[in-house]
Amino acid sequence: MSVPLSQMWTVAAYVLKQKLSRRERYPLVLMLEPLFRCNLTCAGCGKIQYPAQILKKHLTLEQCLKAVDECGAPVVSIPGGEPLMYPQIGELVDALVKRRKYVYLCTNALLLKEKLEQGVLKPSKYVSLSIHMDGLREEHDEAVCRDGVYDRAVEAIKEALRRGFRVTTNTTLFDGASPLRMRAFFDEMMGLGVEGMMLSPGYSYSKAPDQEHFLRRGRTHDLFSKTLSNARKHWKFNQSPLFLQFLMGKRDYECTPWGNPTFNLFGWQRPCYLLQEGYAEASRS
Amino acid sequence: MTLQGWVPEIGEFLTLAEVIDLAFDYRGNTTVVRADGTEIEGYVFNRDREAPEPFIQIFDAAGNGPMRIPYSEIRNIKFTGRDMAAGNSWQAWLERREREKVEKAARHETGPA
Repeated sequence: MSVPLSQMWTVAAYVLKQKLSRRERYPLVLMLEPLFRCNLTCAGCGKIQYPAQILKKHLTLEQCLKAVDECGAPVVSIPGGEPLMYPQIGELVDALVKRRKYVYLCTNALLLKEKLEQGVLKPSKYVSLSIHMDGLREEHDEAVCRDGVYDRAVEAIKEALRRGFRVTTNTTLFDGASPLRMRAFFDEMMGLGVEGMMLSPGYSYSKAPDQEHFLRRGRTHDLFSKTLSNARKHWKFNQSPLFLQFLMGKRDYECTPWGNPTFNLFGWQRPCYLLQEGYAEASRS
Repeated sequence: MTLQGWVPEIGEFLTLAEVIDLAFDYRGNTTVVRADGTEIEGYVFNRDREAPEPFIQIFDAAGNGPMRIPYSEIRNIKFTGRDMAAGNSWQAWLERREREKVEKAARHETGPA
């Protein structure tokens, strides 16, 4: 597993503290969505399908930090929308680093090179730029519904690595993905020098306009087994090997939605990041 | 299929609670008709029918809010705004992409005018 020791230690100490406090349900990763606006319109994405007045809005920096403090999770993931379009993204990340939160800034990287050149973000062991890459050039550009995005993301990854940033990739596999092409993609990303890769199946998401390409359980196991069996030694994944075994169908887990709370313009999303059944005013709800 | 343009007829076969659930799932603005006849247009982002006094939450069309409206004050909800999820399928993008490729090839064959 490719996660720095200090991050592993922080998370382990946090979990131990929760156990000692006999707290059964606690958050591990806060999904903080400061805005829904994005500079891409991917067909698999249900996050951007809102009327204009909602897309124009974003959380204030104070609202973001209040949510982080209220939640208390040691890891904060900032998806969206495209977080680099958030006007105070630099201040937000700085404030999270000051709180010693491990930050995963999930970006499509279209604005990354520009933001790096402007000095908006600073390298830190607490900050990982998590670049959305859904496969090799053809697959990625198809997934994000725009040509040329893969090449821009690769360019930005190289620039971020050159500047000393931690860089990971996050990849969603949809139905129809080719295991052989995905293996070639892993080689390509490791060749670029990323710290690790995160994988996720395209979970069925009722709000997404494209319903046909989501993976069901059986297909998920089949696809990930074919993709990850005989994994090459130089592949590094920025997630637990147990989760990879789960994706391959070798292990089962119960759903723990409280581990992954989501805060956005509408409040605390119930019950978790993937399911949208309503909103609550307090994270504990 | 989209609910865009639909004006529900609440009665024996369709309850207000069902219409509110559909409005919550709808990815566009709706017009909430209050019991007193006044209307508010906006995006219904939340509803809680388990609350002691069930309510919806809405950002109005100008982005102001959130505003909380009890179920008891709602007469109907009209699906007046554009459905932002409609017509954005991956299939539609693939078809558009193929069309563009064919057009580009045709232009290449014809050469500059």
